[in-house]
Amino acid sequence: MLNPVLVVARKEAVDSLRDTRSVISSLMYALMGPAVVFMVSMATRVDAVLMGMMSVFTLVAAFVGGMNVAMDTVAGERERQSLLPLLMNPVRRREIVLGKWLAVGMFSVAGLILNLAGFAAVFAGAGIRLPISAPRLLLAMAAGILPLALLAASLELLISTVCRAVKEAQTYLSMLVFLPMGLGLFQVFFPAAARGWFAFLPLLGQQLQLERWMKGGAAPFVPAAVLGCFTAATALLVLEVAANRLHRDEIVYGS
Amino acid sequence: MIQVQDLAKSFDNRPVVRSLSFTAPDGAITGLLGANGAGKTTTLRMICGMLQPESGSVTIDPAGTGALLDHMGIYPRLTVRENLAYFGMLRGMPPAVLAGRVDHVLGALGLQTVADRRTAGFSQGERMKTALGRAILHAPRNLLLDEPANGLDVPTVRSLRDLLRRWRDTGACVLFSSHVLEEVRVLCDRVVIVHRGSVVAQGSPASLCRQTGSASLEDAFVKLTCTEETAVC
Repeated sequence: MLNPVLVVARKEAVDSLRDTRSVISSLMYALMGPAVVFMVSMATRVDAVLMGMMSVFTLVAAFVGGMNVAMDTVAGERERQSLLPLLMNPVRRREIVLGKWLAVGMFSVAGLILNLAGFAAVFAGAGIRLPISAPRLLLAMAAGILPLALLAASLELLISTVCRAVKEAQTYLSMLVFLPMGLGLFQVFFPAAARGWFAFLPLLGQQLQLERWMKGGAAPFVPAAVLGCFTAATALLVLEVAANRLHRDEIVYGS
Repeated sequence: MIQVQDLAKSFDNRPVVRSLSFTAPDGAITGLLGANGAGKTTTLRMICGMLQPESGSVTIDPAGTGALLDHMGIYPRLTVRENLAYFGMLRGMPPAVLAGRVDHVLGALGLQTVADRRTAGFSQGERMKTALGRAILHAPRNLLLDEPANGLDVPTVRSLRDLLRRWRDTGACVLFSSHVLEEVRVLCDRVVIVHRGSVVAQGSPASLCRQTGSASLEDAFVKLTCTEETAVC
């Protein structure tokens, strides 16, 4: 007998993978950054601002990878009127939300990995070699950057529980993408505004890490892991709020 | 058996269900009959545990309950078999039992020919049958349905009636809401008439007619629910 969390996660993953339009859209968003940077680097030398832009694209990729799945998996279910039958099963709402989060998180992480792989290919193509060993960089990335994709998945799920239809979710989730974009660009153009404690804040911390690595800085594991823990804890907190929202009467009444 | 005692619920300080009590026995089809907005759907949602009542109580075995409420959504990118299996797994049915139950339900609802088709583009009847299959997959002792015949063609309504009768004959408790008098008259052993959130009468269709001195259930319903405010009566 499968754990209900895994049952929900597997169903959502299979269901979302069959949504070809949505998968293609996520794929294009993930590879948009590397493609743009590749085209710009053909015309000009890769400089500091361009490096910064790459980190912004990566942050955005963490958010857009699971966006379509998040909007379909709760707001879409409400719109199709399948959420109420789902909630009638003898499964705790926290388990349902966790299962959906795993599926959204899987797509977010996949989008992020694809984006990083795309940038790695652009770097290799341009003959740029990072002065950090690949295993060390991968370890620091797994600890620091990947939890950001999980936080993005939580935020997207929470927003999706507020919406009654996919169109509504699409509007709000598109606004959410401005968060990494706005914060990222602010740091790129106003680097002097950065403070030491930014390194431990979700999003800002990840961008600082990415910029440091891309500029050839060190990739220490402990700060990355601390940032990763903060980010994951925030993700779980947001998930709890999303699970509580599923107890509200308006979820049952919303068509 | 389902026992409902003094149930009450309001939305935005507007009472929708007030002190509503009735019993739906095993081995019988009980119809919750009322006009639009009478409080039938809200009552069924409270019985299912989807809404918390402000006061009152519901006695029901939640594990042995299946429901087909007005939300009949199914997953369009999954096949009928996958739709059913998903809910079976969520109910904790072991895989070996689940496969057998899915086949049994597909047979009972006449869905074998479309079992492995994705449900996108299904007719209203096929969607309703899939949703009903999901509700009866775990062979519940209590079956709740909210206006299940809405929008269905005659053959589908007839097969639905047959299924509900077969379910009743196994000793199960079937409770369904409707505002269609003919539907209730043909199908129900007991009728609970709800008006403005309260029960105004309950009993067999024949006893309700006797009680009100009416020749038909429609006349009885009108006599029991017609008030000065509903002057159109």
